Amino acid sequence: MTIFLQSLISGILVGGVYALIGIGLTIIFGVMRVINFAHGDLLMVGMYGTFYLFTLFNIDPFISIVITMPLMFLYGGFLQKVFINRIIGSLPQNQILLTIGMGLVMSNGIMLAFTSDYKILSTTYSSSSFDILGISISTPLLISFAITAGITAVLYWFLLKTDTGQAIRATAQDREAAQLMGINVKRMSIIAFGLGASLAGTAGALISPTYYIFPQVGSTFTLKAFVITVLGGMGSIVGATLGGILIGVAESIGGVYFGSGWKEVVVFVLFLLVLLFKPSGLMGKSNA
Amino acid sequence: MKPLFGNTRGIGALSAIAGLAVITLLFLFPRFVESTYALHIMILIFISIVMGSSWNLLGGYTGQYSVGHSAYFGMGAYTTMILMQFRQVPPWLGIWCGMAAALVVALVIGSICFRLRGPYFVLASIAVAEIFRVSALNLKNVTNGAEGILTTEVPPLKIGATLITDFSSKVPFYYTGLAFVLLVILVTWLIQNSKLGYYFQAIREDQDAAHSLGISLTFYKNVALSLSAVLTSLAGSLYAVYVGFIDPSTVLALDLSVQIVLICIIGGIGTIFGPVIGALVLVPLSEALRSNMIGGFLISSGIVKADSAFGSFLTENLSHAHVLIYGILVVVVILFMPDGVLGFAKAVAARKRKEVA
Repeated sequence: MTIFLQSLISGILVGGVYALIGIGLTIIFGVMRVINFAHGDLLMVGMYGTFYLFTLFNIDPFISIVITMPLMFLYGGFLQKVFINRIIGSLPQNQILLTIGMGLVMSNGIMLAFTSDYKILSTTYSSSSFDILGISISTPLLISFAITAGITAVLYWFLLKTDTGQAIRATAQDREAAQLMGINVKRMSIIAFGLGASLAGTAGALISPTYYIFPQVGSTFTLKAFVITVLGGMGSIVGATLGGILIGVAESIGGVYFGSGWKEVVVFVLFLLVLLFKPSGLMGKSNA
Repeated sequence: MKPLFGNTRGIGALSAIAGLAVITLLFLFPRFVESTYALHIMILIFISIVMGSSWNLLGGYTGQYSVGHSAYFGMGAYTTMILMQFRQVPPWLGIWCGMAAALVVALVIGSICFRLRGPYFVLASIAVAEIFRVSALNLKNVTNGAEGILTTEVPPLKIGATLITDFSSKVPFYYTGLAFVLLVILVTWLIQNSKLGYYFQAIREDQDAAHSLGISLTFYKNVALSLSAVLTSLAGSLYAVYVGFIDPSTVLALDLSVQIVLICIIGGIGTIFGPVIGALVLVPLSEALRSNMIGGFLISSGIVKADSAFGSFLTENLSHAHVLIYGILVVVVILFMPDGVLGFAKAVAARKRKEVA
């Protein structure tokens, strides 16, 4: 029972970060109907940024998100304007291939620049943990969960209350109608991709104290991000939040009961099952 | 029936002669060229053509973009290698087992994934391939896990006491590869001109319209996938036996699936010779990068000093750059010539004709 609770809690904590990755992907999909296969690679770029901010300037990974977030936002906006913008509305397979290509350029560009060595970002608290009722909780995971919760709250406020946020949601609901209402759809697309990239980058920063950092780390997270968004219903932000936590828990519990090598299989099987039985996802209402 | 080469009778006859000449030259190639490196490149090109053409049947003709074809490639590679290495089954028998395994996998995957459309199918195909990769990593007693399988010796094929093939040099691999290439091109051509091929293309152009005409979508998509999977496994088997080493990160990787798709989009999707052109572009390019020809050239020609920082960067890192180049190629091709080299050439030719007229 302790083992179960233990893995449940660490699953929820990791799931918070997964939710952040999924929300980024879902916003991009919602606004542009483009599936971003470079999402995990954006996260990887965030990890490398965090790693070098830490080793070169000694900036704590949890503080460095103040720098990572805006930078990744600009990077995402740039990618949208130069590449993604040209394929909005084209065949989904072309969009997928283009973003896969962009991901390959990022991961292999990083590999060329920083070699394929595994890097470890070790802070003083990297492996520290504390006990509550016999359940040990890792400190970095808990901090990152708290930050994730904060960011998610701000994001919800931004999307629900601000004009820009509402415009983004309107664009996601109906691009043409939004345009007719005088919303600058192109600008919203840039903001949406920037937002997605910055959330992915932030997630990268938050997990960098607990994960190995290497150029190909992104592809695992890209797939995870899809599982999360499909699970929650493509385009649904609440769904992505739920999906993230669900995947975190499934992975953690699956890892305990089937062995850590199989935890990814648990996630993919879950994904296929959802695709089969409820392709519109838990929160989705789209006619997929 | 539409002729294999060209579409008018005169051009058709001419191209048929040209095609025959090319095939004859390819058959004679190992007699005149003794360089094992040239043979090696040719064999890699053949394997790529088989991979690309097989995917093309499903992706190009039927419009179902699988980005998980590494699953079938790996299935062929692993089945043949496991049988050969651990059970002493000669590869000529193993290939059939590989094809059978790929067929079974394809039928299972097809029956699950073809309920999904568009991007959902793409995602499902990737998920399935990843399940295979992770399984191959974990099922250590079957696949040897991350260490992979290394061949020590390829058992020769004998009928009675007569030696048929010995696989002790590159030449038998060359002819096997060439035979496989001719086979997939023949299959593609036959399908393109058959009722089956028209059904495939109808599904590609408009699923709902095809369905309303009474074409069973699931059935024909499964036929396309099965054909595609079986032929892809053939490429995987040949690769495994030829290279002599396989592991999950090479024969079951997402990169490989992307590379298979890339062969087609670079050459031109849904055409007989698209994958051939794609392979002819990609293989030499990635080999040049892998063997660091560019870096070597810059250094040996004295443009860059070998002991300088940039020189050591070139020699140490640039050989890893072939995946980077793949990425750049995908981006450029999708943005600027979504119909591939063949489509691009046709468009340019059409524009020229217009200018003349």
